[in-house]
Formats: sequence, C-alpha cells, structure tokens
Amino acid sequence: MKRHYKLPILATGLLAAGGLRASWEAPFTTELRAAGLLAKPVEMGTRDKIGQTSSVVALGGLRTLVATFLNLRAFSFFENKRWDDLAETFDLIVDLAPNTIYYWDSGGWNLAYNAASYYRFDSELPALRRREGWRESILRGRAFYERGAKMNPDDWKINAALGRMLSDSNKLTDFPAAAAAFKASADTNRAPSYVRRSQLFAMARAPGLEAESLDLARRLYLNPSNRVATLSCLLLALECRATPDRPPLKVARAIFESDAAAHDQLSDYWVRVRERYPLDGVATALQELEKHLAIPAEKSVFRRALQSAEGPDDWFRTR
Amino acid sequence: MTLAKTRKLPFARLRRIAVIAGHAFTQLVRMKVFYFLGIFALIAIASNFFDLPQHDGPETLGDHGLDFLRLIKSWSLGAMTLFSVVMGIVSTALLLPKDVEDRTLYTILAKPVPRIDYLAGKLLGVLLLLFVSLALMDGLMTVMLQARLSVVLEVQTALGNARGWDQASRESLRIDTLAQGPTWALQGAVAAVFFRAAIMAAIALLVSTFSSSTLFTTVVSFLVYFIGHFQADARDFYLNSDRAGTSSAARYLATAISAVFPDFQLFNVIDAVIQGKTMELIQFVKLTLAALYYVVVYTVASWFVFSDKEF
Repeated sequence: MKRHYKLPILATGLLAAGGLRASWEAPFTTELRAAGLLAKPVEMGTRDKIGQTSSVVALGGLRTLVATFLNLRAFSFFENKRWDDLAETFDLIVDLAPNTIYYWDSGGWNLAYNAASYYRFDSELPALRRREGWRESILRGRAFYERGAKMNPDDWKINAALGRMLSDSNKLTDFPAAAAAFKASADTNRAPSYVRRSQLFAMARAPGLEAESLDLARRLYLNPSNRVATLSCLLLALECRATPDRPPLKVARAIFESDAAAHDQLSDYWVRVRERYPLDGVATALQELEKHLAIPAEKSVFRRALQSAEGPDDWFRTR
Repeated sequence: MTLAKTRKLPFARLRRIAVIAGHAFTQLVRMKVFYFLGIFALIAIASNFFDLPQHDGPETLGDHGLDFLRLIKSWSLGAMTLFSVVMGIVSTALLLPKDVEDRTLYTILAKPVPRIDYLAGKLLGVLLLLFVSLALMDGLMTVMLQARLSVVLEVQTALGNARGWDQASRESLRIDTLAQGPTWALQGAVAAVFFRAAIMAAIALLVSTFSSSTLFTTVVSFLVYFIGHFQADARDFYLNSDRAGTSSAARYLATAISAVFPDFQLFNVIDAVIQGKTMELIQFVKLTLAALYYVVVYTVASWFVFSDKEF
C-alpha cells in the first residue's frame, strides 16, 4: 500500500476505534465517579493556584501526592499564623483529595480553633477587629466542616468534629445544629458510643427538644457503659424538668449508685454553668444530699466558685 | 522437522512471540534498568521514617498514624507511576532503533516471521519488564506498609487502653486503619499503574513504527501521555457545555482528539485507593478490559504502519 494512503486509513481506524470506545467509556467513568473511585476533575482555579508542575503531577493521577506536599505548606502557614493562606491551602488540598477525612478535620480545626484562638488571645489588632477575626475564623471553620460532611456523607468523624465545634462554649454555639451533626455522625453506625451521648448533650441544651432529649437520655442510660457523670446528671435535670412534682432526691437515688457518688457528680455538674446544661432540680437534690451526707456548710458546693461565664463581650473589651 | 511444519504446529505463533518477548526482556535487563529499584527502595524507606508535621486537634481519636500509611502509599504509587511510564516509553522507543542498529531486525524479518508477531513479541517483552519491576516495587511497598501498620495498630491499642475506649470505638478505628494498610484495592491500584504504563508502551510502539529517532518517539509519547490526562477536560468543555462562542470546528477537533488519544482519567482510581476507597472486582475487570482494548488498538495500528515498512 502506498504510504500516502496509509495515514488517512490509520487516522480513520483510530477514530472508529475511539468512537467504539466512547460507547462504554463514558458510562464506566460515570460508574467510577458514583463509586467515589474517580474524583471530579481538578478545577481550573485550583490548577492555577498549585502551579504548573503540581498541576501536571495532579493531572497525571497523583493528586494525593500533591495534597501531601500542600499539607506541608499548610503547616508552615500555621506556624507563621498566616490564616488566610492556610484557609486557601486547605481549600486546594480538599479539592485534590476530597475523601481524605484527615484534611477536612485538620483544616476545620485550624480555622475554627487555632485561627480563632489567635484572634482572641494573641493578635495585636484593635478589639473590634479581633472580635471580627475570631468570629470569621469560626464561621470559616464551620463552613469547611460542613462542606466536608456533605462530600463524605458516610464518614462519622467530620460530623462529630462539626458537632463538637458547634457545642463548644468558647465558640459560636448552635446546639440544634450540633445535635443534628452528632446525630448524622452516630447514624453512620461507625462512630464510637460517645458520639450518641454528645448528641444528647447538645440536644438537651437546644430549646424545644426537651421531650426528645429525655427520651434519648433514658434509652442511653439503660446501657451501663453510657452512665458517665454528665449523662447521669443531665438525666436528673431532664426528669425533674418533665415532672417538677417528683422529689429530686428520689430521682437522684434512682439514677446514681450512691448518695456520695450523686453528690460528687452533681457538684461538678453544678459549677459548669458556662456549658449551659439544664439545672432543673439539681440545687434541691444537692441540698438534700448535703443534709443526708452531713457535709459541713463550709464545704458545701454552694460555696464553690462557679465557672466563669465570660463571653465574647468580655474577651473583646477595648483595652 | 522442517520450518514449514513447525509453523503449522498449534501454539507455534504464541511460541514465536514468546521467544521474541524473552529476547526483548533480556535485552532490556542487560541495559541495567533494574538499578532504579534502589532509588525506589530509598523512597519507600524514607516515606516510612519521614515524620510529617501533624495538625491533630485535642479530640483526635488517635488516628494520626493513618496519615503515615497514606504517605507511604502516596509516595510509593507516585514513584511507581513515574518509573513505569518512563520505563514503558523509553524501553519501547529504544527497541526498534536498537534492532535496526544491531541489524537483528533484518535477520528476523528475513525469516518467515510475521511482522505482527515481531511487534507483539517486542511489546510483550516490555510489558514483562514493567510487570516484574512493578511486582518488585509492590512487594517492597507492601512490606513497608505492613510494618508501619503494625506500629500504628500497637500505638492505637495502647492509646485505647490509656483513654478507656469502649470496644465499638476500638473496632471502628481498627477498620479505618486496616483500610489504609495493604489491601486488595491497593493491589488493584498497582495494576492500574501497570495498565497505564502498558498503554503508553503500546503508543510508543505505534510512534516508533514511523519515527526515525528514539528521541522523537520518547518526546511524542510523553506528549500523548499528558494529552491523555487533559483530553477528558477538553472533551467536557467543548462537547458537554452550552458555552457561547464554542465553534463547530473546535467541537469536531475535540471529538477527534478524544477519539484518537487515550483517556487516562479512568486509571486515576489510584488516588481514591490511597484515600482508603475500595475497588470492586467488577470495576477492576472493566478497567482491565479497557486497558486491553487500548493496547490491542494501538498494537494493531502499529502493525498497520509497520507491515510494509522498508528498511
């Protein structure tokens, strides 16, 4: 065959083979995407930001490798307190490795905790700007966690981290959202048991969820491994709120192993005012217990200093 | 037995291809290509001892060791991809010109050896080299990963005891940790690395049938490799978007490029496996068939060009 005929025939053959390939390749790509085995293509913006070399490496199927090196860069931003750069780097990292939970957890924690603490304690900025920086960092961290949870619905860790942040009294608390996040985490059935308890702790502080909280507290209490101090105290407060006529001491004796254990645990619970747990019946129960245990007045829990109830208004007062 | 009789024996063709493949493999091994394994071993060992800075929060459930496991996989599979693609392209690009230079090609083609057998044999020799190299690298990675996995599990057990975790928490963490260790999905990812290199070797074979130099074949093959990773994006941009200003010519060109060049994005499952995802057997089988399709198409195209080439 003459050489100048060969090229068009070869091109036609390759085109025909390519056309044939399209019939199975596109559905297979969709199948792999649905199974989470193929990430969506790297965004143009991400490619610009990671540079040409990294972009080529990422396109060459080594996105996680580029993400590893970007994580090193993020750590350097963390050390130098360059929070905007850190946020941008973590956005790139999760764009490259959206299913690596560590990066979501780490990015959210850096923003909502480290950056927020920096603005609260270390920054030399004026009070108003420090407060804004603190608030903005927490909201950024929350948005980051929420994005991670949305992209990894089967994972328990990101929702647990989000719930922890939303119920942290040093942050911008949102107990209904925290309860929903803990619930989503626990419902994966892969989360440790403390996550369901955390859901209860957030629910109990969300207005309007008292009945559901009591129901969940009762169910959790049935399992002895769940009878940690906070849950037992919370159950007492929720029971006393639901049935105010019931003597709190009687409720306490039904829940705690002994009067001494009830007194110890309820005393610690009583001083944790900052965490805003319900306190129905707790004072009465403690008074009764102190009477029965013959605790001298000077050792009464009511003489102990309560947790500081300071909030953003106190932290960001003009110096 | 006469040659004509030998040619009619069952599997004679396969035997002939195997002889050429064995020769190509030996030829490549004599070029001391396995020295790169030393560099790979260094990378694998370094990734195992390299302490990454951690950003663990106060409530992190002792899962920071998982990042080390990801690091070993990420570095090792990255190095495997690099070595296998370079080796696949360069080895193939070298074979034909070397046979011409040594005049071995004239001796072989003077005999009644069909040219497709010669090409298939050469390609199989390269694939054998890639397979052996990847198997050795895979073995090294698995050993490193298993060693680190044992350490991570031990640390987690100690941490669990110290913190009084319940059984459910320990089990949950253990499952997450084991998913980051040596798994069948990881072997599937190594196979994906092999498939990609095999396709590149077949493309380099096609280029070398009409190219006049090793350098040209190597450069063009690397260009095809990168186009193969970009082409899906270009195809999506031009064919699946309703963007104004996208001309018909651009659409036709995008269609032609996506038909002629391979789409390597399929083989990017490696990234998901590094992140702990599992590949089903059926998906692996489909991936194998996809790679086989590419290799067969480009080999047949090579034969078409090579069939009446004069030397």
